[in-house]
Amino acid sequence: MSLKVGIDFGTSNSGVAVFDGQKVRLLPVDPKNVLPEVIKTVLYITKDYRTYLGHEAVETYYRDNVNRQRRYVKQWAGEIEYRGADMFYVDDVFVYVDELKPGRLLQYLKTALRKDNYQGTQIFERFYSVGDLAQTYLNLLKKRAEEVLGESIDAVTLGRPVKFSESPEMDRKAQETLRQAAHEAGFKAVDFELEPIAAALYYEQSITEPQNVVIFDFGGGTLDIAVMRLGDAKSRKVYASGGVDIAGSDFDRTIIEKRMLPHFGYGKVKHHPEIMQMIEAIPDWMALPELGTPINKNILEKAIQAKVAPVRLKALEHLIYNDLAFTFYNRVEAGKIALSSEGATIISLEDKNIALWELYTRSQFESDIQHYVVDVEKVLLDTIAKSGFDIEEIDAVVKTGGSSNIPLFTGMLERIFGAEKVKESSSFSSVVAGLAIKAWM
Amino acid sequence: MTSFNKKIDEWMKEAEARPASAVAIVKLVANRLRELTERNEELLSENIALENGTRVEEYQKRIAHLEYQLELLKRRFGVDEGTLVEFPATPAVEASTLSLLIYNARGRVFRLDLDEDAKEIGQIVGDVVGNDEPPRILAVPANEEICLLFTSGRIETHSVSNIPTVELGGKWDWSQAALPDEPRAGELLACVAPFSHLPLSDFFLQISRRGCAKKNMTSLAQSILGNHYIGKGALQKSDQPFDLMLCHKQDTAIFVTYEGKVIALDVDDLSYAIEERIKLSTTDYVIASFIAPVDATLLCVTQTGKVIQRESKSIDTSKSSTAKGQVLIPPSRLEQGVRFMGAAAVQDGDRVVVLDATGRLNLLEAESMTGAGSIEAGGLILSIGRIPADSWMNLVKV
Repeated sequence: MSLKVGIDFGTSNSGVAVFDGQKVRLLPVDPKNVLPEVIKTVLYITKDYRTYLGHEAVETYYRDNVNRQRRYVKQWAGEIEYRGADMFYVDDVFVYVDELKPGRLLQYLKTALRKDNYQGTQIFERFYSVGDLAQTYLNLLKKRAEEVLGESIDAVTLGRPVKFSESPEMDRKAQETLRQAAHEAGFKAVDFELEPIAAALYYEQSITEPQNVVIFDFGGGTLDIAVMRLGDAKSRKVYASGGVDIAGSDFDRTIIEKRMLPHFGYGKVKHHPEIMQMIEAIPDWMALPELGTPINKNILEKAIQAKVAPVRLKALEHLIYNDLAFTFYNRVEAGKIALSSEGATIISLEDKNIALWELYTRSQFESDIQHYVVDVEKVLLDTIAKSGFDIEEIDAVVKTGGSSNIPLFTGMLERIFGAEKVKESSSFSSVVAGLAIKAWM
Repeated sequence: MTSFNKKIDEWMKEAEARPASAVAIVKLVANRLRELTERNEELLSENIALENGTRVEEYQKRIAHLEYQLELLKRRFGVDEGTLVEFPATPAVEASTLSLLIYNARGRVFRLDLDEDAKEIGQIVGDVVGNDEPPRILAVPANEEICLLFTSGRIETHSVSNIPTVELGGKWDWSQAALPDEPRAGELLACVAPFSHLPLSDFFLQISRRGCAKKNMTSLAQSILGNHYIGKGALQKSDQPFDLMLCHKQDTAIFVTYEGKVIALDVDDLSYAIEERIKLSTTDYVIASFIAPVDATLLCVTQTGKVIQRESKSIDTSKSSTAKGQVLIPPSRLEQGVRFMGAAAVQDGDRVVVLDATGRLNLLEAESMTGAGSIEAGGLILSIGRIPADSWMNLVKV
């Protein structure tokens, strides 16, 4: 018998679930995680192309990389053709490659699907397209799920955001890349369901009467909204859906820009333009690991010797050259999550030459991301308007996804709909549970 | 300063918006203050160390130690400044020459360069032992550095290649032996230890005749070698140093005693202070000590040539400082006067040099000793020395 599962391939976390018509079973695909049913969307590929995902990927990365030795060698990368009116010549291009690098850690794989300027990445001798990365991750996830279930999985319902991208062309391309990746990962049949609708299907299990429901799925990569009639399979209907590229990773980026970059002198010290470029690249998770070149090291060393804010630059050097980027992003994310329940938290990173310490309050966070609230509220109200419902006609607002726990957005929902209508669904499992239900239907 | 004031204003705003946050903010700031105070104290003490020069001295010592280690490595691999520049260095011919050192407590050392056909190594004539402990045997590459430890705790280093050789298969009197470093008044030569692995080792391990052990970090080598003194490593005045070896922290050291006791110790567990590690009877003392690989066989030889063997992993590692050790000579045999004269941890392919009371030195394969259970000698056995298989193979290749 062919088995079909639901997979939530999330920006920060993923999950696999199966539905038997009675009950949803969330599969413990990452036994080492605090919540074994939630697995980090993180992939680690070693130099000999062994692959790890989730907690194991992070562990292996830390074990092999942090404070490791580096050795740069000049490697031929290709050639450039120079053409002019009366001349033509070809020049070789070389890059410096760290030949001791044991592996690459990749995260935000889903975001990569919707970046039109990101085709993929070179991992040692092989080029991995965005599809290859997604395929590698899905294949490992499928194997984990099969181990848990003890049988093979043939088909999958994958979640997808309402909009991968504002551009319809990019949106279609992202879904097709993901579909192809899932096929190559070993799924014979692949279909998709919008993530907020999947969350709605799960919520529907808990209600007894038909309701007009707004699903507010606010995760790591996107905000997805659906306005639906739920509670009766016959009258179930999606009235409108909407979304925007605002979510947890944008808030992390904002925190880094506003609160962490000054630790490296940003806005405080008049750095050399090349150093400023390095600092400005810190919020970009794809760019930071690429900064570790011998040329940049030389620039930093010279500035340190010239005593231009040497402590801040030593910290920057340490961040770049000791593979602390992943730790750094994690600390920022952890600080953000803490502010959903606390009024103040510490974002810190301490290592040999780096000592970042930032007391960060909820008021500061809310002030920093205030401009997003305006955009989010606009998308929400537009989607409801598109559905034809008045605010008063909405019976429940179901919030799911990690970012939906941010009090600023909960407050916004309560202000618009009334506190009694705002319901909380399981932040990390409602989408995957709904996808499993959809897979069974 | 302005930006910090702005931060404080922002924290105040949070405290006003949610009074519960005020407690959290105060706690977080207080914790930070404590951390910074501790860090400040560390930095101040570091500053004092820098100001009064102790840090500089420490680094000078470290540099001197590293220079010494480099020098040893250069000597071991037979490179000088010239060849270093023309890297890769060509190893000296001597690196493959295996030298056998037979030394006595008076500081006399015979050096023989072995060859692969050697069976009868030669004979010491005259008074072989005198009133001292029996001579001891050490096999080392000819380019090795050796450290001579005297019973006073004094040490001196020498290159094996600087010791004159005697003819293989010949007969020699102690008066013909080299005297690389004459013992001073009241001193005897306690042991000769190979030393070129110093840069790659974690500790010096000292063993005393009465079973005391003491380790020292090799990072202190510069001061130890500079002062030519490592200490006796003994608790009692009547006790004397017996052995000195270089080891790693994961190594297991084994001692074997005259009356047939054996004990294994984890080097990592050993104290930096002198500690008695085995309780010995008044007539007992250590006759052999070595670092034993896990897969080695412990060979113990009695004065009559009987060979007793044990797998080294079967020797229990003692954690107690007053262990009595495992008994390898049963009490009945002990009463009959059976005693151990030598012991070694051997592996496949190793050879063993045996010195008997007639002064004859014989070369035997370790396997043949374990197979036969005894060795034939012209007289009572005085001591044995191990030739590692890899050193022997190098000799054969040449």
